Amino acid sequence: MSQKLDFATADDKMLVKAAQKGGMQAFEELVSRHRDKIYGRAFSMMRNEEEAVDLSQEAWVKAWQRLKQFQGEASFVTWMTRIVINLCLDQLRKQKRLRAESIEQMDEESGGVERQMPVVTPNPTERLERGELRQRIDEALGKLSYEHRTVLILHEFDELEYKEIARRMQCSIGTVMSRLFYARRKMAVLLAGLKREELR
Amino acid sequence: MINHQTQLKVQAYLDGELSAGEARAVEELMRSDADAQALHQELRIARSFLAGNELERKLPESPEFYWSKIRRQIERAESTPDGLSEPTAPPWWSRFLAPAGVLGALAVFVALVLRSPQDGGTFLALDDSHEIETPLEETSSFSFRSEAAAMTVVWVDSHRE
Repeated sequence: MSQKLDFATADDKMLVKAAQKGGMQAFEELVSRHRDKIYGRAFSMMRNEEEAVDLSQEAWVKAWQRLKQFQGEASFVTWMTRIVINLCLDQLRKQKRLRAESIEQMDEESGGVERQMPVVTPNPTERLERGELRQRIDEALGKLSYEHRTVLILHEFDELEYKEIARRMQCSIGTVMSRLFYARRKMAVLLAGLKREELR
Repeated sequence: MINHQTQLKVQAYLDGELSAGEARAVEELMRSDADAQALHQELRIARSFLAGNELERKLPESPEFYWSKIRRQIERAESTPDGLSEPTAPPWWSRFLAPAGVLGALAVFVALVLRSPQDGGTFLALDDSHEIETPLEETSSFSFRSEAAAMTVVWVDSHRE
């Protein structure tokens, strides 16, 4: 005897199962629950509202089309996040931002200013409200190059290992390590409220 | 000051990406090297600031409008014949189709030209479905048309005077 699913109280797993059987309403509920997070991740990577909306939408369409492949190894929202990240990476590659940022890349390959920077310590005792801290982190992320930002997002927010980041960004593990290093050092400086000029 | 490779080792230690032996070596280094220790501290704090602190954003559109666009895209994809079919890998032999086709067309072309050297005219009728045309004696181009293969090949010799 089939039971009618209460979408509002059902957990993600139940909604996914219903959606896998073609239940569009169940899928709509999943979109409703996670749309902000998926959009937020797209924005973190693209730093552009319009692109983030488009790519997050595309991610949902792809998710619907591939829903049968979702076996529940990770949570649904983790799976969705991976889809939107891949779409963002594809889009960034298409835009050839890598080439546009060739100066940054040269800097990175030759060591960059970050290697010589004195160690800075963002003041951990500075009591920021969580919201304010997040705002400052986001602003600092916005000042990083696409490569540095992406590697930080994948490592710190998605908790991916070096190997997995390298696979997704189509680069070597050594490059991931370098990018992560420079990104963290830049973040340390930015979060400490220091300007690069002060360090020279 | 520690070198770049060592800096990366310190970071990899922080991220738990080193083997047990390498991790012990880095721990040893940090006990004896203040720079390595300070770097480890900086990276650790930067990491702890970021973890779990992604800014929460609100979608800048109404939920209804956003969902309606997703739904429309899904329906559009479903209405196309293979809209929802999973992309399937082409069979292994399909990669040879294009070069084989080109080689085949060239072979047919060469064979037809060699079979009718006596005609030498401006127009060679080979059979009902194949023809080679050289529009003018002095032009440096000619074309080959095969109805059977539904194909036309145009040869242009730019060096001919």
